[in-house]
Amino acid sequence: MKRRRFLKLSASACAALAALEFQGKGMFRPAAASTGNAQGLPGSLGAKDIPSVCEMCFWRCPIVGKVKNGRLVKIEGNPKSPANDTRVCARGNSGVQLVYDPDRLKYPLKRTGKRGEGKWARISWEEALDEIAHNMNKVKDKYGPHALAFFDHGASAEFMRGIFNALGTENYTNEPAFFQCVGPAALAFIKTMGYVTSGTRQYIDMKNAKAILLVASHIGENVHVSHVSEYMEGLSKGAKLVVVDPRFSAPAGKAHIYLPIRPGTDTALLLAWMNFIIENGLYDKDFVKNHCTGFNDVKEAVKKCTIEWAAPICDLKPEEMRKAIVMLAEARPHVAIHPGRHATWYGKGDTSRHQALGMLAALFGAVGVPGGLYFPTHVKKGHSECAECGGEPETPDESLQEDYYPFASMFGSPTSKIIEASLSGDPYPVKLWGINGVNILQTIPDPYKTMEAIKKLDFIFCEEILPTETAMWSDIVLPGATYLERYDAVYTYDLLTPYITIRQPVIKPMFEVKSPYWIARQLAKRLGLECFQVKDEKDIIEEELKPAGLSIDSLNKKGGLVKFKAHPYRKRKDLKFKTDSGKIALSVEAFADEDLDPIPKFIPTPAPPKGYARLIYGRVPVHTFSRTMNNKWLHNEWPENQLWLNDEAAGKMGLKDGDEVILENQDGYKSLPIKLKVTPGIRADVVYMAHGYGSRSKMLTKAFEKGASDQFIITEYVDDPFMGASSHRTNFVRIIKGSKIIDVPDLCPVPPELPRFKLKKADRVKTGGRK
Amino acid sequence: MSQLAMVIDLKRCVGCHACAIACRAEWGIPVAYKRNWVHRLGPEKTPHGLSYTFYPGLCNHCDDPKCVSVCPVDPEERTFKDPKTGKTKKMAVHATFKHPFTGAVLIDKSRCIGCGSCVEACPYGARYLNEDLDDPKADKCTFCVERLEVGEQPACVKTCITKARIFGDLSDKSSEVHKIVASGKAVRLTSKEVNIGPNVYYTGLKRDTYLLIQKCAPHERKWENVKAPTRRDVILAAVRRLKTAV
Repeated sequence: MKRRRFLKLSASACAALAALEFQGKGMFRPAAASTGNAQGLPGSLGAKDIPSVCEMCFWRCPIVGKVKNGRLVKIEGNPKSPANDTRVCARGNSGVQLVYDPDRLKYPLKRTGKRGEGKWARISWEEALDEIAHNMNKVKDKYGPHALAFFDHGASAEFMRGIFNALGTENYTNEPAFFQCVGPAALAFIKTMGYVTSGTRQYIDMKNAKAILLVASHIGENVHVSHVSEYMEGLSKGAKLVVVDPRFSAPAGKAHIYLPIRPGTDTALLLAWMNFIIENGLYDKDFVKNHCTGFNDVKEAVKKCTIEWAAPICDLKPEEMRKAIVMLAEARPHVAIHPGRHATWYGKGDTSRHQALGMLAALFGAVGVPGGLYFPTHVKKGHSECAECGGEPETPDESLQEDYYPFASMFGSPTSKIIEASLSGDPYPVKLWGINGVNILQTIPDPYKTMEAIKKLDFIFCEEILPTETAMWSDIVLPGATYLERYDAVYTYDLLTPYITIRQPVIKPMFEVKSPYWIARQLAKRLGLECFQVKDEKDIIEEELKPAGLSIDSLNKKGGLVKFKAHPYRKRKDLKFKTDSGKIALSVEAFADEDLDPIPKFIPTPAPPKGYARLIYGRVPVHTFSRTMNNKWLHNEWPENQLWLNDEAAGKMGLKDGDEVILENQDGYKSLPIKLKVTPGIRADVVYMAHGYGSRSKMLTKAFEKGASDQFIITEYVDDPFMGASSHRTNFVRIIKGSKIIDVPDLCPVPPELPRFKLKKADRVKTGGRK
Repeated sequence: MSQLAMVIDLKRCVGCHACAIACRAEWGIPVAYKRNWVHRLGPEKTPHGLSYTFYPGLCNHCDDPKCVSVCPVDPEERTFKDPKTGKTKKMAVHATFKHPFTGAVLIDKSRCIGCGSCVEACPYGARYLNEDLDDPKADKCTFCVERLEVGEQPACVKTCITKARIFGDLSDKSSEVHKIVASGKAVRLTSKEVNIGPNVYYTGLKRDTYLLIQKCAPHERKWENVKAPTRRDVILAAVRRLKTAV
């Protein structure tokens, strides 16, 4: 699957479309049920319901905005939605406070101080857009198109991405969503199964599973409503749950078997499990014979990977490892081997680890069946060329993609390569960054390096909703409309409960904020690009709804959403995979062609140096990345993160629950203060904190310096050799209390197979972070 | 007599806090206060194994609500209606009272003098004095009776992403809450010292309900230490009310 679609833009078709009159009758159309006649009813009762789509995270649940007297009072799930019904999570409920956040960016800003200083002047939209266009042209003329780079995430970035694409840069899509998150997993499954089994969404039928395997997936700590509710439905119907995680997470609390694995050794466990089921005939022979290729090679490759071999590496008890794999095998083929999502852990073995998860599912025949991995259901929708701003980038002499990582171009340019090229000018200079929908300083490893790179740029701009760290470092900041203030796109859902719906405004845009389409359209005009010719998003939505026989009006009359029948499973005889062989590739030839392992191997990641613990991180259910920490309600619910520390280690270190400490990483960078949570629910060789806290933007008045940022002490990273994602779990910390540096005791013996991380010489150890 | 009640299934609860926020959104609760909350318990060792669970809490609408008995506002006769049968009943009640037909413990805001006695008395910390108001009033969860009246569910139940909250009438033998409570599988947050008939129940794995009771069942008979407001306090409150009314 190539992510890029090089579309030829049909300017004339769009112009013609622009001339058409559509019947969209205003933005405040009520859903069928509510009238908006509040008549003194308390709470949200009697409010007008406006169907739309959430974007407090990327899962995008259908919602209704409840509006009284023009003010959004509440958000609930769209009762028409088969995926979430009336339910929304804490964040979905808190969209109200995103719209009304007093810290919001209200009008375009121009930097007046130094980059990162946060000094601003208010400017007009005209001036802001003129300046951006001027700089884009200038940089392109001087250095060529590839000097332009775009960092993007989420629905708001779609149109702007088109502009960068049209200007001819290969760096038009560099999503942290891939290079800091799901990329390795997506690649592994595309090559193994022929589709994106794990990308934005995971096609895993936990609802009908008889057993579920989670390898460091923290369902419930990361919350996507339909995903969590299907998981819960499966458990309540009696599914057995096996959780593999160095930390006793929320799902570990519900597990039948919990395996507190040594970080970085998951692939050893998976290889041993594969060997065990092959040796003991606990795999689906019929499925493997008819629907998989490469079985004999796999059998041979895992022969030496016995449970006894893996046990000391994984630091697990052999009998527990056996009990778990037998529990999973007994449920085959209705066993949900969760494909995982966030996969950028250790750099070297990340793609292989997810490949191994796919292989395990295949060996169980757990693909295309209830309870296993399943196929997406295609929901018919149109494609509007007016939403595109096509162009075909020329390939530079030396590409940041293929020339470094053979599979990078499926996703874009690796963020680490763009940052390095911006710093060094090698292999070509990158001189202008555009950023939309992603706070790169709280997302990409080594933010200090990112800041140095920004200092070298000719120009940097962003479109944002809140004054994040990234906004602080921009030359021009454009205030974007939130998802509750704009039309956007047609959304289809292709999981177990398919539907089609649209995002539409629930309230009028506040202040001077503009929709991403308006911004991209104005910018395209200034750049002389013939695209985005229709006046607004509504025309695009109408065109995309047409093949489904719908219009905005007719969809709203149906409550804003129409359901479809799912087609997730296949009869065995109908199974066909979009791989080269039409079967599941247990051994991936395309990897071998690039001198990469076609069958996963266990590649050890360095163990903590003496005195240090590995830093791991995760999510709390009330926050999305670093985006929601300033939300009044969510901030109130969980204002700062805690550092989980093993109770035995804490005892030896003289630390107790609630103590405030600072972390210092292997490169000498220090964290903001963070309070300890001392618990037996974590291994002694790791510490854990929730991601996204410890904001360094003073303009985020609630989130500023609340809790500690994991990102600002993640400075050591290793690139995934397949597609160039950067690792996040390759950092180690010591603990500082008061002025005393306390070594972490060495309570988990490290076997000789696992080398320890070598600390760099003292000259690198400095306080470049917080002093 | 009917008794509204809630069972929270800790096996289903993932601790996502949607309930707490939906309540805040529905009733516009200032962030300094809460009617509905989620606390995390553990991971901690229990005799039944390592537990990591949650305390989703709200007013328990107790059988013997101590918050009602400490209310110093003179009882006044009011007519109550059974929402199911339409039957009415006259009863003299304080500013806070237990509804004779639904069992919900409610507050008559127009009569509350904001003395805070009920807030102090509640062993669960389920009440607060809303000092954001010019004329502070006690406030707390109502089991969303206002929503029930128009056929809606409580806000926390409607948003619960894992259907962990089961709500209904305990006296209705066909209700799910009745069935669970009658099965004896549900526990309540009570102790030897504090046993006032809470109507929020919890079910879950043994290790989780064990930890919940260990950590969250109250032991302090707070209502016994509530000092009745002085005459002066009462008069001042009356003057304050008069002012805001004008």
